Amino acid sequence: MLDDVTTDKPVLTLKDLSIEFPTPAGVVQAVKALSLDIHKGRRVGFIGESGSGKTTTALAVMQMLAEPGRVSGGTIDLGGTNIIELSEEEMRQARLSRVAYIPQGAMNSLNPVMRVEPQMWDGIIAHEGHLERGELKRRSDAALASVGLPLHTADLYPHELSGGMKQRVCIAMGIILNPELIIADEPTSALDVVTQRQVMQTLKAIQTDIGSGLMLIGHDMGLMAQTVDELAVLKDGELVEHGTVQQILQAPAHSYTKDLISSVPLVGGESFLNPDARAEAPKRASSEPLLRFENVRKDYGSVTALHPMSFTLHGDTPQIISIVGQSGSGKSTMGSIMLGFNPPSEGRVLFEGQDVTGMNAAQSLDFRKNVQAVFQDPYACFNPFYRVNHALKFPYKQFGLATSEAATQRAMEEACEAVGLDPDLVLQRYPHQLSGGQRQRLIVARALMLSPKLLIADEPVSMVDASLRASILSNIYDLKDKYGISILYITHDLATAYHVSDYVMVLFKGHVVEAGPPKEVIGAPQHPYTKLLIDSIPWPDLERSWGDGRTDWDPTKLEAEAARAEAVYRGAVPGFDLTKETPHG
Amino acid sequence: MSTANMTRAERRQARRIRRFDNPWLNPKLIWGAGLLLSIIFIGIVGRFIWDLDLVFTGSSPLKLPPLGFENLRGQLGVMAHPIGTDGGGRDMLAMIIIGAPNTLFVGLLASLIGMSIGIFLGFSAGFLGGRIDDTIRVSADVMITIPPLLILVVFQSAFGDVTLTMMALLIAGFVWQSPTRLIRAQVLSMKQSGYVQMAQLSGASTTHIMFREMMPNLVPYLFGSFIASVTTSIVTAVGLEVLGLGPQRIPTLGRTIYEAINAGALIQNLWWWWGIPTLLLGVIFIGLLLINLGLDEVSNPRLRRLS
Repeated sequence: MLDDVTTDKPVLTLKDLSIEFPTPAGVVQAVKALSLDIHKGRRVGFIGESGSGKTTTALAVMQMLAEPGRVSGGTIDLGGTNIIELSEEEMRQARLSRVAYIPQGAMNSLNPVMRVEPQMWDGIIAHEGHLERGELKRRSDAALASVGLPLHTADLYPHELSGGMKQRVCIAMGIILNPELIIADEPTSALDVVTQRQVMQTLKAIQTDIGSGLMLIGHDMGLMAQTVDELAVLKDGELVEHGTVQQILQAPAHSYTKDLISSVPLVGGESFLNPDARAEAPKRASSEPLLRFENVRKDYGSVTALHPMSFTLHGDTPQIISIVGQSGSGKSTMGSIMLGFNPPSEGRVLFEGQDVTGMNAAQSLDFRKNVQAVFQDPYACFNPFYRVNHALKFPYKQFGLATSEAATQRAMEEACEAVGLDPDLVLQRYPHQLSGGQRQRLIVARALMLSPKLLIADEPVSMVDASLRASILSNIYDLKDKYGISILYITHDLATAYHVSDYVMVLFKGHVVEAGPPKEVIGAPQHPYTKLLIDSIPWPDLERSWGDGRTDWDPTKLEAEAARAEAVYRGAVPGFDLTKETPHG
Repeated sequence: MSTANMTRAERRQARRIRRFDNPWLNPKLIWGAGLLLSIIFIGIVGRFIWDLDLVFTGSSPLKLPPLGFENLRGQLGVMAHPIGTDGGGRDMLAMIIIGAPNTLFVGLLASLIGMSIGIFLGFSAGFLGGRIDDTIRVSADVMITIPPLLILVVFQSAFGDVTLTMMALLIAGFVWQSPTRLIRAQVLSMKQSGYVQMAQLSGASTTHIMFREMMPNLVPYLFGSFIASVTTSIVTAVGLEVLGLGPQRIPTLGRTIYEAINAGALIQNLWWWWGIPTLLLGVIFIGLLLINLGLDEVSNPRLRRLS
């Protein structure tokens, strides 16, 4: 089927590969009879959720499986060599020179006390012995140039580089010996969309240059569609579908593949929400606006994370206000200032007319009851010592909502059911026994139980598997739609903000650069920075030229341009006033 | 599957898995605790079945060897003094029955006080931060660099005869600094954790966060740190006693060794006089070490192995 594309002998052949992990509870089959070819010059994507066996397969190819994992059957053939039969020394020779691995957290894979150049030389020396300094320098410079980094990068330490630059240094190290196969394990999962696009472009360009095979591991269908030629869909260690990316996107055969494709929210695409209830906001005793920022500014040392910002959220009609931006844009700082975890350097944050930083005990309890949060990391939000119901029961009692033990239990069960969890199955468990998605739903259930007036959701789905994102976001949306809770949704993901929110603020280096209803701001961006962000999102759309290896796409220049442009403020929504910032620059 | 028709190997495998599932069934932990309990057991049972007045000077013949041995004067060991007597005619068994638990007591008490100070200061430093943190951190650092024995020698010489409790108190002043640093570091990292932020959002008070949210997760560290400081305290106490400081009239293992050395027991080949207390100290230290290793495996599942 695929052989007509290239007549070359495959660089990697996996045949009936099975990998198992013996554990006290029995043997876990991590990969089950996987057969696949990767041809020369082809890019093959391995897509699946965490635990589907994609990284395990890659590690087996590198002979780097963690103890006690072992290959229990099948063969791994790398360009004619059976890897399983290689000795440790022969495998060492093969790594990097024949198969290179670009790990997930490449930024942490660099030695912090060594300059970039000697780290690049290490790989050459380990395979070819000591070469002349001039020769080493020539080759490391060539590798750096090929990933588009300036040559003076060689003399820098890793901490002097940005995340994207570190990832590109890792790619340069990976290709320095012209391997037959490059394995990239979620190489951009820790990077911003803009940087991601740049890094993926680099990777594609260089892979085409040296003509090696590429095995790209990831969970983002959009990124895969824009990058690879063939797609292998893995579920629970089994290869459920394999074909060219066109075949799979246009006519997915397996239901799981369909789920993966439909779970990617598209700007302008169909909504995954069903707004039906349109609940009123709860009646409030105070006539003051729910939340008000008065010239709030935050400095960390000499760096200004947030420039003076003023807005008022009235809270009479429930609204979802999205704050979007890249990391370092100041969006999470805004979140922690609103929660009172982080006092502003200047200005005031008022909750129902009361300054958040100067509250007495009773006011503080009232503030806590009414302003709740959903955080990014569902793994950290539960105390490992207690059963998960502690996280729901404790605040419920603390805020005086519990009338009796039975009433608390009933409230917990109702909240669980509202977010689609079976209370009998989850409430009595310890956090480590639940999946990330279940935990994040429990945190949403917790917010629902406490029925606050304002919920701050800080990247609530960025650490949850892709197929669950839409359903958790619709749980959060229901908080507004059915229960009338106002929500501040902080995210880097413009596509979800497009669907969920009533009003969007785009944050860039602590300034609001564009604000307005999502259909206008994200659907038809006017500010260069918003345009840059939207251009960088990978969509499962084959017609779009996203990462085609063009070198004229330079985000640094575009960002500099964006910094000079005027902020754009468009239409307003009832109940939310953003005061226009005085022009900066 | 019933136990009856299991093979030996299967039963062993089942036992290993049970041990894996219940980390407290750790052989190192059990052996270590067993060794320490046997010392306490000797102390308790001995008080009922042995005449403790035999610890006084001259209550028995001098320098008798243990049963089945002969001393330089050709005397054989007797049933009345099964592990011999010392140069002052004191019964060794009676000295061990009183001395060994005393040594353990000083170690436990000193470390208990030291840990309490450490928990209090560590939590204050980690939680309150600012100038309080600076003060606590710097003073703990300064204390770590001072050799405790040096200061204690001066103190004890000035005090002259001290009680066991007094000595434990003095030693406690030198074992709080490592737990302080350890707990401070843990509290600092936990303060940023999601569940502590969640507790803050839940309107929890500072004491609730400290003792109900953070403390339970600190227990493995506290245990480990406690055992380590018991070891340090006993080493310090024995060091002082062997130098002739510490309690003068109460038998302890260290004091017995001091007297043996002082009376030239090494030259006279009175090995039981210094050998038996040294052996018991060895048992205590090995017990503590095993408990520490066992606790390590309990709190860190990665160290546990299936085979």
